[in-house]
Amino acid sequence: MIDLHALAAAVHLLGGSWQPWLVVLPGILIGLAVHAVPGLTTSMALAICLPLIPYMDFLQALIFMTAMYAGALFGVAIPAILLNVPGSAAAVGTTFDGFPMAQAGRHNEALGLALAASCVGQVIAYLLLLCLAQPIAAFAIRLGPPEMLMVSLWGITLIARLRGRHMARGLLAGVFGLLLGTVGLSVRGAARGTFGFDLLLDGIPTVPAIVGLFAAAELFNLVGREYIVDDRTRRQVNAGRILAGMRETFRHPGTLLRGALLGSGIGILPGGHAIANLLSYSEARRAAKDPERFGTGDPRGIIAAESANASSEGGSMATLLALGIPTGGATAVMLVAFGMHNITGGPAFMRDHADIVYAVILSSLAQVVLLAAAGFGFIFIAGFVVKVRLRLLVPIVLALAVIGSYALAQNLAGPITLAAFAVIGWLMQRFDYPVAAAVVGLLLGRLTEGALLRTYQMSGGDIGFLLTRPIALAILLLLIGSIALPYLRRGRPRLLEKRQGRIV
Amino acid sequence: MPSRPQLTIGGRTIAVDLPHLAFVTAIAAWCAWFCQDAWRAQKGVENLILIVPASAMAMILYIVVAASCIHIVPPQDHPPAAPRRPLAPGMASKIIGTMALLAAYVVCAPLFGFDVASFIYILTMLLLLGERRILVLVLVPALFCAIVIYCFNTLLATPLPLLLFPGDAA
Repeated sequence: MIDLHALAAAVHLLGGSWQPWLVVLPGILIGLAVHAVPGLTTSMALAICLPLIPYMDFLQALIFMTAMYAGALFGVAIPAILLNVPGSAAAVGTTFDGFPMAQAGRHNEALGLALAASCVGQVIAYLLLLCLAQPIAAFAIRLGPPEMLMVSLWGITLIARLRGRHMARGLLAGVFGLLLGTVGLSVRGAARGTFGFDLLLDGIPTVPAIVGLFAAAELFNLVGREYIVDDRTRRQVNAGRILAGMRETFRHPGTLLRGALLGSGIGILPGGHAIANLLSYSEARRAAKDPERFGTGDPRGIIAAESANASSEGGSMATLLALGIPTGGATAVMLVAFGMHNITGGPAFMRDHADIVYAVILSSLAQVVLLAAAGFGFIFIAGFVVKVRLRLLVPIVLALAVIGSYALAQNLAGPITLAAFAVIGWLMQRFDYPVAAAVVGLLLGRLTEGALLRTYQMSGGDIGFLLTRPIALAILLLLIGSIALPYLRRGRPRLLEKRQGRIV
Repeated sequence: MPSRPQLTIGGRTIAVDLPHLAFVTAIAAWCAWFCQDAWRAQKGVENLILIVPASAMAMILYIVVAASCIHIVPPQDHPPAAPRRPLAPGMASKIIGTMALLAAYVVCAPLFGFDVASFIYILTMLLLLGERRILVLVLVPALFCAIVIYCFNTLLATPLPLLLFPGDAA
């Protein structure tokens, strides 16, 4: 499975010169810092750095971009934990237990958990990529629209029942998000739900919408309070407790491994990095003996979300390198960097430049060590957020979010989306609707619509077509099982009680 | 906990969670309008393949959720409490004020400039949230504007509309 000649060439490429290593630390630091501003994204940071790419050789450019990507994958967890602000969809799952832990004064441990889970997730993903780069490429080719459709629907369903209390509200939030995700021009050029505004023809800007739904909505709730952590004695930033959080990560090897494997698998799909963290969180909760603890500040929630988020990088890099297909904004920008060096990703790239592929994988494994050190220093600084009065923090974060959303969209659509979704998000929280379900629906709306349409065209409307797609069928069964299982579990004890009653 | 509004119809007392019912009705109304708008724009399969079934699903779920907002209160029983934690005294006005200021900021900033609008927004928010120290009221908005606008316009080369310091980037 491993091309040993190419691996040896990769070691020579990396060991023969110090130049490829020069860009690793700046890349990680840029990636970490960019998500301190709500609204700024990894793809935006990568795009801003694109003018530097022609001045680097191809390997150096790839290492620089993967370093930024690695830094950003952990960076999104910092505001998610401290402020309940997921800088991107990839950190939504981290907020569920991260912010409750921060509010309980366990922000040090939460940040340590996220850092360690992120590092381990990346190591597992890149080790998998190192061993399975060729088979992954072959597998990815077999995934078509029906499989994408099933994964999207499965993702939305799992998230909708995440909170468990109100299934109908969860599903309604998911469907609402799905419809919001299809606002704008259809594949045949029909404008839908735009209210006549040209700004909405490209659809609802997703990052401002996510920041509004999660961050701004949560900030409204913090308005009357003095600090994120009420107890003064718990507002310390403590290296020992960050390390304790990092150690705690390794006490849950099952959650860690499951998250990393799920993230690597889902990460190979377009949009997969956005839902990997949520699917992993949902699975960790389902598998737990005490699922009611999730959402109240359970370390396993952070480990599940962060390990999957970090490992999805390996999966998305596999698709980019093996098929030349970007799975999200960040890998799309990386593909532009390929073009700047007149290189096209895909099977031919894997065959002709296997040494570079292995060099990128090996350097990414080495980056994890630097990420652990740089991330530790960064969270030590970022942890001081809990010491800032909320009456200063709330207006500053809201203003930053508005400026970030304007910078991203370069028009009024960004800030207006943020404000509108902030109100919707607050109301959803107030009436106990899972905001995450609406977010996942919003993110997957276009993808689901496109996959459904192509599946319809491929099958000619014949439902039996699914029988010829075993992977899609398996995901469909998982989907049905994930809806039915809670009801079956609830029904079984009642049935037993009835039977016992009859016997007595 | 605040109790729900009650209606008496035909001798039966019915408690309705009106705020929740209004919210879920607004969501359902938007879904229905969106489906109708898409239908009007183009009636082809390519346009409606997801929207029509998703909207139908939304309507079914709306009926289920709306039904859960209405409860028949047994005779001589206390009306059920609203299933939410009530807001602390004074919180509602602060939250509405924060929402209104955010709305004003997002509309005004791109039109009048992020420098002036951000300064006024942060200053007003600080006052709304109870800050009264003059030094903080002046320094925090000023420092925020200087640092953030410099970073966006110069370091990130992302032009923002500015009133007082337009420069080359704006």
